[in-house]
Amino acid sequence: MIGRPMQLASRTYDVADVWAAQELYHANGWTDGLPIVPPTRDAVAACLDWAMMEPQQLVGIEPVRGVAITAEKLAINAIMAGCLPMHFPVVLTAFTAMLRTEFLLHGATASTGGCAVLIILNGPIRLEIGASGTFNTLGNSDRATAVIGRAIRLALINILEVRPGGIDRSTLGHPGKFTFCVAEDEENTTWAPLSVHRGLPPEVSAVTVMAAGAPRQIMNEWTTKPEEILETFAAEMRANMRHYSIWAGNYAIVVPQQLREHLQTAGWSKSDVAAFIFERARIHRREWADAGKGAVVRDRGDTVYGALESPDQLLVVAAGGPAGGFGAIIPPWLGHKSHAVTEAIGVCIDCEPPKA
Amino acid sequence: MQLQVLDPTNEAIPPFGELAPRLNSLAGKTVGLISNGKEGTKGFFAHLDRMLRDDHGVANVITRVKSNYSAPADPHIVAEIAGWDAVVSGLGD
Repeated sequence: MIGRPMQLASRTYDVADVWAAQELYHANGWTDGLPIVPPTRDAVAACLDWAMMEPQQLVGIEPVRGVAITAEKLAINAIMAGCLPMHFPVVLTAFTAMLRTEFLLHGATASTGGCAVLIILNGPIRLEIGASGTFNTLGNSDRATAVIGRAIRLALINILEVRPGGIDRSTLGHPGKFTFCVAEDEENTTWAPLSVHRGLPPEVSAVTVMAAGAPRQIMNEWTTKPEEILETFAAEMRANMRHYSIWAGNYAIVVPQQLREHLQTAGWSKSDVAAFIFERARIHRREWADAGKGAVVRDRGDTVYGALESPDQLLVVAAGGPAGGFGAIIPPWLGHKSHAVTEAIGVCIDCEPPKA
Repeated sequence: MQLQVLDPTNEAIPPFGELAPRLNSLAGKTVGLISNGKEGTKGFFAHLDRMLRDDHGVANVITRVKSNYSAPADPHIVAEIAGWDAVVSGLGD
């Protein structure tokens, strides 16, 4: 607790009731088209209090346009999205990760390619906030993931002006642009969490962000062999390379429990999965001609392109309902132009200890 | 029940900068073209180059291509702009 009345700097508006608030926010282009929770002083102050942040504390600066993002503005958008104070540290961490230069936030959010920010949660915070990684995990699975993903989108719209037709030049976009947050199902897998594969210690809560296209669902419930199961994932990645973009980058694959158990029973780790996919998700440039893109094959038809520059570019996520031989690949916005970023929540892993 | 609600936008957003003074004529000038490098830019900027020289008497047309079409122009390209009289920054979509 900061212990004194919080001085918020944002302009205020007096509205007659909650319905008038909706009209004010919609009329000003401050929403995603859905109703919002009115961001009152008390609600915003509670978010900041929970995260122990001053209103004017900098979350970061958007590197291309130089826009400063304060904790207060992020908290306002989190409340609008439906966040409770306990969700706010996740929103803060996700936004911090998105502001890393390698994420290329401006390019990713402005591009005609129309990606969304995929947020993957790991560690104990998932259980604290009730984030579920099981049924309907890429849909509306629970309150926490729904509102956290939405908070990111509203913050982009309002703080960075990423509105359709404004900074957001997406030709199509996809439904994940409303909210796109997944908690890994760490309780129902023998695999190490994604955050551990990305270099963080076990038991540390973390957020991974990725500039992501729409999920592409696969199905193979007619085998238990890891190579055959993963060949289906690789085939969908090859399809994405032919039909969307050939360039290598971070792909995510979401492996629900049924297929996961076959892989785990056979002793395959996430690293084994990534190594297999790295080898199999490759196409010849000439395959573009099969998809109507013969004009750009030129004299490089025999050149082989991989979906991944290295196995560790694959984000293997254990999530999804317990039954069904399904899975999903989530392709990158545009190859390696934007890199996935993993950030610990509420701790500083490599910080210098304070000097005495 | 009356509510007091907060502005969610970045009220402190800086202006995008000011436009340079407009030129009265392009004749004899140096014009830079900054391309994002997408496929569609090739024909577009080649045609614009010819138009500037043939129809407007531009002395020099300098074309530069960004190394990453989704990111701002590379610093070495931005540094060159000071030596140009006008610049066209275009998209290839």
